[in-house]
Amino acid sequence: MSQQAVQETDTATEEVPNYDNDFDTIVVGAGLAGTAAALTLARQGYDPLVIERGPSPGTKNVFGGVLYTPRIRELTDFADAPKERYVSKKTYSMLSEEGDETSLSIAPSSWREEPHNDSWMVLRGDFDEWFAEQAVEAGATLVTETTVTDLIEENGEIVGVRTDRPDGELRAPMVVLAEGANSLVSEGSGLKQQDSRDNVAVSVKEVRKYDRDTIEDRFHLDGQAGLAAHYFGDGAVGDAVGGGFLYTNKRTVSIGVVYSIEDAAHGDKTPDEVLAEFKQHPAVAPLVRGGRMLEYSAHAIPEGGPDSMPDLVHDGAVIVGDAAGLVLNSGIHLEGTNMAVESGYHAGQAIADALDNGRTDEAALASYETELRNSYVVKNLDHYGWFMDTAADEKEFLFDDLPRALGQAGEEYFKMDDTPKEEHVSAAKQRILTATGGWFGAARKAWKFRKMLS
Amino acid sequence: MSKAQSTPKVPDTPDVESASIEDRLYTVKYKDSGESHLGIQIPGICDEKCTTYECTNVCPADVWRADEGGIPTIAYENCLECGSCRFACPHGNVEWEYPETGNGVSYKYG
Repeated sequence: MSQQAVQETDTATEEVPNYDNDFDTIVVGAGLAGTAAALTLARQGYDPLVIERGPSPGTKNVFGGVLYTPRIRELTDFADAPKERYVSKKTYSMLSEEGDETSLSIAPSSWREEPHNDSWMVLRGDFDEWFAEQAVEAGATLVTETTVTDLIEENGEIVGVRTDRPDGELRAPMVVLAEGANSLVSEGSGLKQQDSRDNVAVSVKEVRKYDRDTIEDRFHLDGQAGLAAHYFGDGAVGDAVGGGFLYTNKRTVSIGVVYSIEDAAHGDKTPDEVLAEFKQHPAVAPLVRGGRMLEYSAHAIPEGGPDSMPDLVHDGAVIVGDAAGLVLNSGIHLEGTNMAVESGYHAGQAIADALDNGRTDEAALASYETELRNSYVVKNLDHYGWFMDTAADEKEFLFDDLPRALGQAGEEYFKMDDTPKEEHVSAAKQRILTATGGWFGAARKAWKFRKMLS
Repeated sequence: MSKAQSTPKVPDTPDVESASIEDRLYTVKYKDSGESHLGIQIPGICDEKCTTYECTNVCPADVWRADEGGIPTIAYENCLECGSCRFACPHGNVEWEYPETGNGVSYKYG
């Protein structure tokens, strides 16, 4: 059943066989969304072709570090998947540029039990390759080192793709655009607009090598348990909307920063310099000292929320994953992998249903968008859509004044001297109130951010 | 290079490795297509209109350089294909393609 790879055989000098309409669906990109679509279609007896520009799936992908797995667990034998550690603890820390840290740590004991709240640290080089193998085993075909450059359109309908291979035109009834944050094909074909830079973040990351004992001792971990740490404030990414992150893998630690390209454009430091400063913060330096950088990586992240989502369904094509802007940043929830897989799954289902009826028009594919809107994916984006704009409006308070005030309030509250505690408590309160603009300001800010925890 | 330290030194904070951009890029597997996948649409815009060179501020890989002003130089072989410059240029003047046929960066860990 599985016709592995048309790959590598076609060079410029050889006769290139014609695969037009050998496949039901062409999937552009073998990331999480594309592979989920291909796997779903293959399971229903269809023949998808996945075209990946990298040497193997995962080689062009970058993420922070946590894969959220509810749908993947249904689609695969997830026990066999290459995983690093599950998230047994999450921490959220406010860092001031003076070096203060104020943090909250959450470690429900149930996270240590299967299925570990469906939250796993993985490395994309390993995971995406494995995930694509599951699709191939189910009957999908994978071609690598091939870049889709354009769509073929006839009478307003998308009927195939052009690639950078010789005679690289390929036709198929359906195209799934799973090309990621830099969605050149969708944009080039007018299916979506390029996002404005205040809706996109730049992220840089180091994967650092330590021995397993060092990681487990340093982060108080055992077995497969792992830490997902998030950092906010001036001490994390300077004067910008964004944050830092640290994820523990088995024998490596992923550490990085993410912040708005709007802020990066105006900043006086490049992303690698921002990362270097974050690593040197007194709350972070002891966690990443020593070791060795194995890999440096960078990627843009679409964080525009519901307003940035393009039309998902077209005649003969659908858009999924990062290309569709399906990333959630609510300040507390930072998700994308689960939404990518969910969108690929619903797209695959909708395409299978449409093909069953011999159709590929927009109306026949509409159930993809309907299902996605009825799922947590778009519901969460809608619910937290307010956050990024509010965070940008309140940048100075959230990322500068608040982390400093919390640090100073903590210092006051616990101060050891000959002053009665009552006075320290009052001084601590005053620090916070000054930062929020008094009781009235605090009430207004509380109202503004009321939905953050809801 | 990236030793810019605005955080004041807090006692008992260890020094961590602060790699140069060259050392960072050295960790990334890369296959050179021999041809730039990046470009400038209208060089005159960079030369005459642009004063801010935001491409150089956002780039995490020192691809875009304009220390002398004028038209930025492009060290495309440093490129991590993140796409930040594509979004950053306020003049929409960045030409950005994917490197062809499997060339460019190839992440092992991602």
